[in-house]
Parts: sequence; C-alpha cells; structure tokens
Amino acid sequence: MSGELYACLHLREFPLQSHLRLRPDLKSLPVAVLDGRPPTETVCSSNQAARQLGCAAGMTRVEAESIPGLKLLPRAHEIERVASEVLLECAANYSPRIEERIAGTQRACVLDIAGTQRLFGAPHVLSGRMRESLAGAGFYAAVGVSANFHTAWLKASSLNGVVIVANGREAEQLSSLPLSILQLPEKEAETFAAWGIRCLGELAALPEDELIARMGQAGKRWRDMALGRLPHLFQPVEPKISLKEHSEFEPPVEQMDALLFVAAPMLDSLASRAAGRALLLTCLNITFGLEGQRTHTLIVRPALPTIDRKFLLKLLQIELAAHPPPYAVTAFTMGADVGRGSKVQLGLFSPQLPEPSRLDVTLARLKALVGDDMVGSPILGDSNRIEAFHLEAFTVSQRPVVTDYRPRMALRRMRPPHPVQVRLHDHKPVSFHDGKQAYSIFAAYGPWRANGNWWATEDWDREEWDVLIAQEQQAYLLVNDRRQKRWYLDAVYD
Amino acid sequence: MPSASALRIEIERKLGNRFPAALTPVQRTIRETAATGVPEIDQLLGGGLPVGAISEITGPASSGRTCLALSFLAQRTNAGLVCAWVDAGNALDPESAAACGVNVKRLLWVRCPSFIPQAKGKGWSRPNQVLSATDLLLRAGGFAAVVVDLGDLDARHAGLIPLSAWYSFQQAAHLSRTSVVVVGKSAYAQASAAIVLECVPSKEGTFGRTVLHGAVFEVRLAREKTAAPLSMGRKPPVSTWAADCAWEIER
Repeated sequence: MSGELYACLHLREFPLQSHLRLRPDLKSLPVAVLDGRPPTETVCSSNQAARQLGCAAGMTRVEAESIPGLKLLPRAHEIERVASEVLLECAANYSPRIEERIAGTQRACVLDIAGTQRLFGAPHVLSGRMRESLAGAGFYAAVGVSANFHTAWLKASSLNGVVIVANGREAEQLSSLPLSILQLPEKEAETFAAWGIRCLGELAALPEDELIARMGQAGKRWRDMALGRLPHLFQPVEPKISLKEHSEFEPPVEQMDALLFVAAPMLDSLASRAAGRALLLTCLNITFGLEGQRTHTLIVRPALPTIDRKFLLKLLQIELAAHPPPYAVTAFTMGADVGRGSKVQLGLFSPQLPEPSRLDVTLARLKALVGDDMVGSPILGDSNRIEAFHLEAFTVSQRPVVTDYRPRMALRRMRPPHPVQVRLHDHKPVSFHDGKQAYSIFAAYGPWRANGNWWATEDWDREEWDVLIAQEQQAYLLVNDRRQKRWYLDAVYD
Repeated sequence: MPSASALRIEIERKLGNRFPAALTPVQRTIRETAATGVPEIDQLLGGGLPVGAISEITGPASSGRTCLALSFLAQRTNAGLVCAWVDAGNALDPESAAACGVNVKRLLWVRCPSFIPQAKGKGWSRPNQVLSATDLLLRAGGFAAVVVDLGDLDARHAGLIPLSAWYSFQQAAHLSRTSVVVVGKSAYAQASAAIVLECVPSKEGTFGRTVLHGAVFEVRLAREKTAAPLSMGRKPPVSTWAADCAWEIER
C-alpha cells in the first residue's frame, strides 16, 4: 500500500448541486429536487435551508408543496450528466487517473494523486486548490485524502471540508464513523445492530475468523474497510471532452433577461474549461428547448476566438434580441467549439483598423438594427447578370489590393425599379412619365440587351437605354422588360 | 518710388504697436486631409476631404455626388483602410463601386430597408436606422471613412435629423479620426460640417453620339469651416471635373 495516495472529491445532493451551479439566483433559497413520475414524485435532494424548513428525502410532492417558501425543481438527468462531465474535467486538471463512484444522490471522484506533490504541493494544499476549482465550477465538495482508496472515500463522505488521514492511522480515523456509511444490505445491517455494532471501530474490533464464519467473505471485506486496509483495484475513467452546458426551467421562462442570468455562468464555465486546455472559444451553439417540443437555435461566432466572457455575453444578448425564441423556454443548452488563438503582428505605423471584438459587437448590433442580410461586404459574382453580387461577412483581414482607380460615373440603383410609361418614336424612347411628371428625353443611347443566356437568343428579355433628361440634365438607366412588356427606371447615373 | 510691398512693411512697422490684432495674421487650423482621387477637387480643397470631420457632398441626381464619394473610398480602401457605406436608400451599386476602384472587401455596406418591425408594434424608420447605424460605426472606431448616403431621401425628411445628432457625429468622428461624408440633396449638418461641396451637372457633357461616354460636373466649395470668410459679393471657388463611364476603361 505504501506509495499510494488517493484524494476523494465527494459531492452530496448532486441532483440539487447540478441545478444550482447554473442558477445562482436560487442558491440562497430553500430548494428541493423531486424525482419520479408525476404524481408519485418524491424529494430526492434538498439544501440546508430546505431541510431547516422540514423538508426531508422521500417526502411526496404534496407534502413538499405544503412547506411555505420551498422551491421545487424536477430532477433532470441531462443536467446531471453535463454536471458530471464538468466535475470529471475539473478533477482531470489534477490527475489523469480518476475513478467515479455514484451512490444514490451522492457523487464522488477518487483521484490517484501519488506523485503529484511536487507539482501541486502537499495534500492539504492540493485539496484546497481542488475545492476552489470545484467552487469555481459551482460545486461544493468535501475532500478526503488517504493512502487507502476506501478510507479516502469514507472520510470524505462522512465529513465536510478537507480531511487528511495520516498513513497508518486509518483505523483510528475511521473508528468513530457510523456503520451505516458502509451501506450494508438490510439483513446484515440488522444482524450487526442485534450484535450492538454501531460504528466502524466496533466492527474492526470483531475477531476476523468468527466474523467470516458468520458473515462470509463480505464480513471480512467490511472489517478490512473499517480497518482502512481493504485493497482496491483502481478502475480509471476517461473524462470526455465536451464543452457543453445544460439547464432546464420549471416553469418555462419567457423573459430574455432571465436567460442571460443563466447564460453568464455557462459562459464562465465554458471559457474556463477551454482556457484550461489553452484553447479559445470560436463559436457558441445555443439550443433552446421550447414549449410544445419545439427548438430554437442560435449561433454566436466572434470574428476572433476568445474567452472574454463579457464580450461573448454581449454578442449573445444582441443575438438574442435580434432572434428571440418564439415561445417560452423550457431548456437551455450551450455548446462551444474551440480553436487556437490568432496571432496578429501589430505595428506602430500599421493603418487604423477596427478592433476585432468591438467590430463584432458593432456588426451584431447593425444586424439587429437593419436585418441579418443587410450588412456585409458586397462581393461581385463572376457573371454579367444584373445585380450579380452577394454580401459576405465583413472582416478586416484581407491585404489591400491595389487596383486601377479613376473616377467613373456611378449608378444609383432603384430597388425595386420604378415603373414608368414610355413614349417611343422610331423604336426609341422620347419621353417618359413616372406617375407624377413627364420627362422629355434629350438623348437616348441603346438598346443594350442584358439578362439572358448566350445559348438562347430569345431569352434576351431586358433592354437597357441610357437616357438624358433635357430639363434637368440627369442621366437615367431605363429598362424595357420585353417579357412583361413594361418599362422601368432602374438606376440613375450620379 | 518705393514698391507696394515696401510701403506695406513700413506701415505695418509704424502701426504694429498700436493695432496688433489688425495686422496679426489670422490663425488657421491646418487639418489633416485625405485625397478624393479627383485632382481638380483635391486642388480646390487644398488636399482633399478633412479627416476626423464631417464633409457634405450635396446636389441633385447626376451631379457626380456618388462618383466623388466612391472615388474617395477607392483611395482609402486601397491604402489598406476600411470604410463603411450607410445606405439610406439601398441605392449603392457594387459594380459601380468596384469600377471606381473601391476595394469592396474593405467596404462595409449597411443597407437600410424601409421599415424594420420591432417588438410591441414599434419599428425603425429609415432616418432613425441611418442615425443609429452611423453612430454605431463611429463609436466602434477604426473606420477611415463612413459615407452616409442620404441621396435618395427627400430633403424635407432628411432635414428633420436633429442638429444634435450631427454634432455628436462630429465629436465621434473627431475622436475616431473618421472622415464622415454625407451625400444628400442639400446640406443637413449645418455648423457641424467642416466643408460643404455643392455639385451640379455641367452643360458640357461628353455624351457621345451612340454611347454615353461620361459626364462633366461642377463643384462649388460652398462652405469651409476653417477658411477665412468670403468677402461680400465674391463667388466661392468652383472646379470642373469629368468622369468616364465604366465601359470607357478599355478605350
């Protein structure tokens, strides 16, 4: 056994802790978690404030609801699964060998910390750091450290805070613990009670051979456990890297501000977990579960990978304001994609450019103001068709392209084109009326045929005329849609 | 007989002690400018449009306002800077912008639709969108030029934009060193504008017989904030410039 050292992180009331880690607003209230199918739900987990009001495990919903001021939450296995992943990730920061133990509503991670003293310090220092790390993720844990696996677990599950069991003093440290901590089968527990055995010290004092004769090998195992010398075959689990947070609401949430209160700790958790791997968040994938089994998805993609929680929360707020969920929200899942940070060489004489994070927020606000598809860089398509362009997301990473630039007459498009009535003479327009006023045409150049397919001569259905208005010295682009037999003012030269 | 300059120096020396203010040259702020890409206008403005200030390009349609604004953006974007075009009338033609030499990848185009419905039945009107978008861009900083295109808005509607908004734009432009170019039918920014250029189509066009070749425009420097006031009856400086059509590139 020499050379072994284990640290057990023990979390009581795990269903409740999973809920409250993302709901800081509920932490000061009496809260209980109900498990089971309606209407036979019973309380499975509660906090200290709830217990002080008289709430106890096993209470029915009706009994729990009769306690004034008690907040009841439904047990959510998805929330517990995500919380369990977060717990393992936190533990994995201190040791790669972790064994997970689940007993009812209690959850424990036992870490093999042999050889980590030079990295993280003495066991009490390491224990303090682990507790702080878990507190940052929203968990409250007790820590037990011992050279024996079971001793570490039993001590952590019996006390609060940090307990370090010195090597060779396991039996002494465990002797005062109640026998119920071993979670014995009912029949054996009754037998021990009949013998007057109530704590581990009394169990350890029983003669081994006689105990085996009456209880079998299980009796020997319990006695060894009480003596702190039961060996254990360590079965490490592999923490799954999945940057995801999940929360559920009962009753459903309609106000967006309430969602942001939940989103903030989620972002904190995702950012710190990504930072723990020297990674940054490149994209946030947010899925809202809505009433009526509907879902609503949002994607927040900053221009540069970041873990700036305030900035990401601002982007999320703008995105949420622009695309609010259409129904009340019952569940909120936030996942993140990660990437490496960008490397930008700054220079004293480099041109003035927008700061990427501020630009992101500005673009998101502009999109919320005028619409998603109305903001961006116009990129021309490889086509001669009219208006053959699309808007691309605006970025400032491109190098300058020096092109030939001379002042050219520019068109100002009329979107949509303005219908006009045209008078022709000798197939040329001589005047047009825009519904308010008649304009005589001083000169007309054309027709220029456009908007067709070169392989089909009959599809050249758009005739363009450059016309000059005599009285106002204005130049317009007049279009004859031959298919619909209508004339439009399409643009003005300016 | 002493020359006029010698006489002037002698008079200034004798009266200098008694009337110092009258003979001290008026202090002139030398503003940083950016070239528009039209040599005639750059000469008229003494270098180009001011940086960190509001410039207004006014005039009717076909007076070269858009062409001048695009030419200015071409200069700025090809210098490695980024610019924005806040389009109140959704009228910008990207092909024309590219033909003028604007590096469109460095241009942020904000198209304002006529009406965006918001929650509780409220909505954004077009001038409000333009103001909000311009304000956001100026406060974000980093944009070398922001063109506020009010060219298609009726002067009565655009004239309703409060002067306080223009004043705040002027302050923000000054802090962020952004050239704000307002294209409109008339001048709206009043005292907040550093310069006002009035554009009119010239009668001497290069219209051609079968194809429209280009146009000639006149530009009048209607107001320059930092210049000495013009004496009564004196005409503001005028310049004439020409722009070819895009298809004249290969001629």
